[in-house]
Amino acid sequence: MDQLQISAETQQGLQNLSAKDKQELNQFVVGETQKAQIQSTIHELNSVCFKKCITGRMSSGSLERNEDSCMKNCVDRYMDASMLVVKNLEKMR
Amino acid sequence: MVDAKTDVMQQVRQQAAITNARALVEKINEHCFERCVPTPGSSLSSGEQTCFNNCMEKYMGAWNATSRQYLSHVQKGM
Repeated sequence: MDQLQISAETQQGLQNLSAKDKQELNQFVVGETQKAQIQSTIHELNSVCFKKCITGRMSSGSLERNEDSCMKNCVDRYMDASMLVVKNLEKMR
Repeated sequence: MVDAKTDVMQQVRQQAAITNARALVEKINEHCFERCVPTPGSSLSSGEQTCFNNCMEKYMGAWNATSRQYLSHVQKGM
């Protein structure tokens, strides 16, 4: 994420926020950060699965039925696989 | 005048949207260029452009499928 452009006015205002507003703003940023992380995971996942599932000619703009089910399976198996990695690593401890 | 809290929230939202859009554009270009322009000529042919349009739409369709599927896992996990 690029830097925010916080004006002097806003900076001043931030210091004068009430405790309740501070807490709300903090919670908002935590939530947005989480959303951004999820979005970035979806980008990565989609990139991997697109490569595996969309292999035919680009003859139309919509997903074929088999491509759609491949995408879903790809996401599910990727999750299975990442769980497996964690489980196996735990066994090694 | 917008208060400080609202100002920061708007900016954070806007930056998040820009970052997301930028990632999507990058990925689409990466995949669709690979698929649609195997040997770059002196200009994009109409066939390549059609391929690019289809590829772009497919990529976004795939993104929505991925997003739905992934979010269902995330929600189950919580």
